[in-house]
Amino acid sequence: MADDAAARLYQAFVSEDPASAISVIEGAKSAGTNQAQLFDSLFAPAMSLLGGAWASGAIDEYTFTQAAVVAEQIGSFVTPPAAAQDTGVTVLIGSMHRDYHSVDKNIIGAALKEAGYRVVDLGVDVRPADFLDRLEETGARLLVVCASMVGTAKNVARVREMLVTEERDNVLLLVSGGPFVADLELAKKVGANGVVRGAESALRIIDKISRDKLAGGA
Amino acid sequence: MAPRSQQLALAEGLARQNHIQPAVEACYQALANNERDPLVHCLLADLMLYGDFYDEAINSASRAIEIDPDCSPAYLALGLGYDRRGGMWDQSILVWHELAEVEPDLVTAHVQLGEAFAAAAFDDEAIDAWRAALELDPAEARAMYNLAVAALKKEGMSTALPGIRKAGELDPTQDDLFFELAGVVDDGNPAPDPADVPHERDAMITAAGALAFEDDYFAAAELIRGVLEDNPDDPEALGLSAYLYLKQEAVNEAMACALRALTISTRTPTAVYTLGVAFSKRPGLNRNAARVFSALAKTVSGHPMPHVLYAESLLGLQRYSQAADAYRTAISLDPTCVRARFGLAMVLLTEGRYAESMWEIRRAAYHDTRHQGLFWQLYDEYAEGRS
Repeated sequence: MADDAAARLYQAFVSEDPASAISVIEGAKSAGTNQAQLFDSLFAPAMSLLGGAWASGAIDEYTFTQAAVVAEQIGSFVTPPAAAQDTGVTVLIGSMHRDYHSVDKNIIGAALKEAGYRVVDLGVDVRPADFLDRLEETGARLLVVCASMVGTAKNVARVREMLVTEERDNVLLLVSGGPFVADLELAKKVGANGVVRGAESALRIIDKISRDKLAGGA
Repeated sequence: MAPRSQQLALAEGLARQNHIQPAVEACYQALANNERDPLVHCLLADLMLYGDFYDEAINSASRAIEIDPDCSPAYLALGLGYDRRGGMWDQSILVWHELAEVEPDLVTAHVQLGEAFAAAAFDDEAIDAWRAALELDPAEARAMYNLAVAALKKEGMSTALPGIRKAGELDPTQDDLFFELAGVVDDGNPAPDPADVPHERDAMITAAGALAFEDDYFAAAELIRGVLEDNPDDPEALGLSAYLYLKQEAVNEAMACALRALTISTRTPTAVYTLGVAFSKRPGLNRNAARVFSALAKTVSGHPMPHVLYAESLLGLQRYSQAADAYRTAISLDPTCVRARFGLAMVLLTEGRYAESMWEIRRAAYHDTRHQGLFWQLYDEYAEGRS
């Protein structure tokens, strides 16, 4: 069945018929092939047939090139999406007031965005009150505060104080930056729920939190 | 100015053959005879760098410049000394700036200047310097690696990764891997004239490989067509065809040939390589690329490049710590692998390990500049100019 579909897709390529190629793909999907499998189970075998036809001389160079153009045109129908699916989870991220270091924040924010999180980047030099305001606006329950200097790291305690004052106990405060990595006690002192040690750590922690604690809400 | 002394000529000869210790001794003898010869001082500085004696290298290079402010190889040694010692970014910026003034067409001076700016956190100035380098030479891979790192800092990995892959394609070490897999050896002889190649499978494959090595893709393709006319199921011919298409940016044609080759025989490393590269050019196919390069890294485990390619596909999957392991494997196989060191620097940045990241970039820069033989180029030009 799959071989048959690959042969029909190959035929659509050499016939320079993208519409037929798409209908073969749609047919495979209707028959139960999921998007993630389409490339391996349908596109790759069809391309192998195309390569074989060119090698044997069954098709000439011009047809080969035109078929490759059709393969290009329908590529997005069989390729897994480059960006991850929207998780529906909003994450606020920013560097602490008087901290102008942005690299940590940028890399972590971009990694989370790529993984499907709705990232709201508040920039650098963010006042504690601004974190609170944006939490209100977005309804987010995950906040990552970056601080690269000991002084600004200590000031993250003010964010926790404001969260307590405003009774936002449902917000999880994660901290990132050298001072917290070097001294885990500091993270506890400022009232953080966890320490993010870079992009991969952020992905792991936030994925776990999303599954364990945020199920059903942003 | 004075011609080269006998001791200096001896030191040079020894240094060019990497006999460091006797070369240093010969330099000291030359200095005992004439302390004011800038050539000896700058040669000594380069030798000291080779042995990781940064302060001594800085002192010798500074002395050479003091004696003759136009001594360009001394600026190179001084800049490399500052960079590798670390923590001397302001001096480093001045030196590279000076070298870029003395030798305005020297691409590496602009690249190094950018790296010194970046180390001092002048990111915009750094980007300008790398762009200046690319204006002089659009194929300057190291400037592109650096721009990829800058993109990572501002916009994250998904923006940086295409940059590092693009830089990697400019870096000839990736093609070296293909030719090693294809068994093409650079014996110094030119590729044969296709008209002189006998119509015999092995001769045609060998000649096609040699022609591809010399970037003569059309002639190589003609010969491969001859092989395929005799046997369309020749996986090696298909693997080579895939490479030829890839070099002409025909990614789908390359993919078709590579997939066909692997349908015939999964043990066709050239097809595995070209398939992986074709996959890595398609957003969304990082998982496929990782699978392919993982297999290649296992098959050709002693070569650094498959590990680098595997690491890059892991970056696309956000598996940064695994990517770091693969990069470290590549570096253990070849400590001078510039692409692996830049890649590892990027992973370290994602972990917030800035100092280690900068250290990797400094190592990469040093090895890249050494690879180019830049010191000897400047040294010979300077020596010729003064004689």
